[in-house]
Amino acid sequence: MIGSRFESLIVRRTGSLLVPLVQIFALYVLFFGQYGPGGGFVAGVMIAASLVLGQLVFGRSGLSARRARSLLAGDGMGLLIFVAVGGLGLIGGGQFLNYSEAPIPGLPDASRRYVGILLTQIGVALDVAVAAVSIVFSLSRSARGEAGNA
Amino acid sequence: MIEQLPALVFAVPLTTAICMPVAGHVRKSVCRPLALASASAMAVLSVASLWAVVSHGSVRYSFSGWAPPIGIEWLADPVAAVMAAGVSVLGVLCLLYGGAVGDRTHDRHPVPYYTMVLLLLAGLSGAVYAGDLFNIFVFLEVVSLSAYALVAVQGGRALVSAFRYLLMGTLGTAFYLLGVGYFYAATGALNIADLAQQVPGLLGSKAVMAGLIFMLVGLAIKMALMPLHGWLPDAYGDGPTAAVPLLAGLVTKVALLIWVRILFWVMAAGESQGTAGIFMLVSSLGMLASVAGACIALRQRNLKRMFAYGGISHIGLVMIGIGQANQTGLTGAVYYLLNDAVMQCALFVLAGLAVHRYGVRTLDDAGRAAIRSPWVMGTFVVAALGMVGLPPTGGFFGKLRILLAALEAGNPLAAGAVIVTTLVTLGYFARLLERLVRGGSAESEPERAKMPWTLRAAMAALAAAMLALGIWNDPILEALTTATGGLAI
Repeated sequence: MIGSRFESLIVRRTGSLLVPLVQIFALYVLFFGQYGPGGGFVAGVMIAASLVLGQLVFGRSGLSARRARSLLAGDGMGLLIFVAVGGLGLIGGGQFLNYSEAPIPGLPDASRRYVGILLTQIGVALDVAVAAVSIVFSLSRSARGEAGNA
Repeated sequence: MIEQLPALVFAVPLTTAICMPVAGHVRKSVCRPLALASASAMAVLSVASLWAVVSHGSVRYSFSGWAPPIGIEWLADPVAAVMAAGVSVLGVLCLLYGGAVGDRTHDRHPVPYYTMVLLLLAGLSGAVYAGDLFNIFVFLEVVSLSAYALVAVQGGRALVSAFRYLLMGTLGTAFYLLGVGYFYAATGALNIADLAQQVPGLLGSKAVMAGLIFMLVGLAIKMALMPLHGWLPDAYGDGPTAAVPLLAGLVTKVALLIWVRILFWVMAAGESQGTAGIFMLVSSLGMLASVAGACIALRQRNLKRMFAYGGISHIGLVMIGIGQANQTGLTGAVYYLLNDAVMQCALFVLAGLAVHRYGVRTLDDAGRAAIRSPWVMGTFVVAALGMVGLPPTGGFFGKLRILLAALEAGNPLAAGAVIVTTLVTLGYFARLLERLVRGGSAESEPERAKMPWTLRAAMAALAAAMLALGIWNDPILEALTTATGGLAI
């Protein structure tokens, strides 16, 4: 199923409406995660779901599928952001992941924590999205018996 | 900066592992030097951390600056620090050896291979330092997933072994997590120090006991304790030559160390009655594993499988030591665990070398080959002395402590098991040594390329470590006694 374009007009219309909506909601969940339920993991799963949906509906050559494949090149980027933000705390003389010690000049303590948590969550979201998309990609590839690298 | 060392020990290999795909994308030949540099940096940091812990006392490291009940804590006490130093130094030696042994399997996919090795090292250091049961689970998973992938790198038969390892290992971590869940339900705490205050009062609770048994089963699979060892000989026998010493030396030992932590730092902390049954169970399982493992090793013809069963029997010896529930047994067991990590590493280094340089896989091959290299034979003799338990290697002093602990606890059966294991181990090593010494003739030895210095350095360092652990056994054992003296046993 994955890889071929879906011919039904209804499915494609709904898909083109849903994919951006899910992505915007994922961003909302990511930024709102500081104050309420949500955060990087959920946002990452939603981004991945939207990309997978795009690929299911529009096929391999669709815009979403291409975006998803380019996302895979960022394998590990999210984790690197996480470690880098954690390391900032170390450089500032505090513990690993201690955001209030991060050496960002001109920011009060609370804002440093805010920025630190936000950046960490963005890293988590990226990593989860990449992991989920790459699982779907490799499963669909092996099901079609294709070889090659994403 | 000193108090940040535990986090740095973990962060260095992790960061390098993440950057490895990018570096390998630019140029593949950069992977091995990068991994070696990262492991060396990790070794320097962990040795510095050991020095800091020995001279300034234990470090309790709170991540993000949040104190333990809310935040996540790492505990760098002498036991954790020495194990972390062992992990990283053995990691460097295995990388030195792996690149020069002549096995080109991992060169086909250097990026995933070196990424996995570094993730394994990072996970091992995390599992050693972690101060709460849930984070131990997380790092145990990191270690296990990298280990499955490393075994599977070999391809062919190793895929089946890796899949079996994966199934068993997943069961093991699931059991462990289930046990952690029971503990959490009973106490509402995951931190080892918090649990140590609550659990001893709750030993009558069936939930706590069930949790403890689940954790024992889970970790027993991970450390390949006798009835649950099925995955180990195949995984180590078929796995890639370069990675097996790392797995054999470290993965099972860290699982064993976690069990020691749970048993002594959580269960037996404070005045507690009702742990006698658990210690008895541990001691009996240890006796079974040590004697049966040694006997099966005696029947093996394949060298790698023989060493694998030897390792299984030595896990049993450590379990006998901790099962005696006294100070002598605990220090002896932890000390023997360190020795065993080095010995297993050395044995599999030699086994890999035997296959790739001399074409020796089985006992019969050993009888035909002429191995004249003093480096190989010297290291083998030291490793054999250590495994059998003869002075001046660390194996002797560790085994002596375990034997003394069994006598101290008035447990002649356990003492007998230690002696029988020693005799049987002597049996299979003497047989192998006899084949090696008498085997081949000097004239029939074909010309071989000169052994690279990395191989010689790795072997010399391993042999020196086994001897040094034995020669300086007194200060090491004393330091371990001081480190564990606060635990009321």
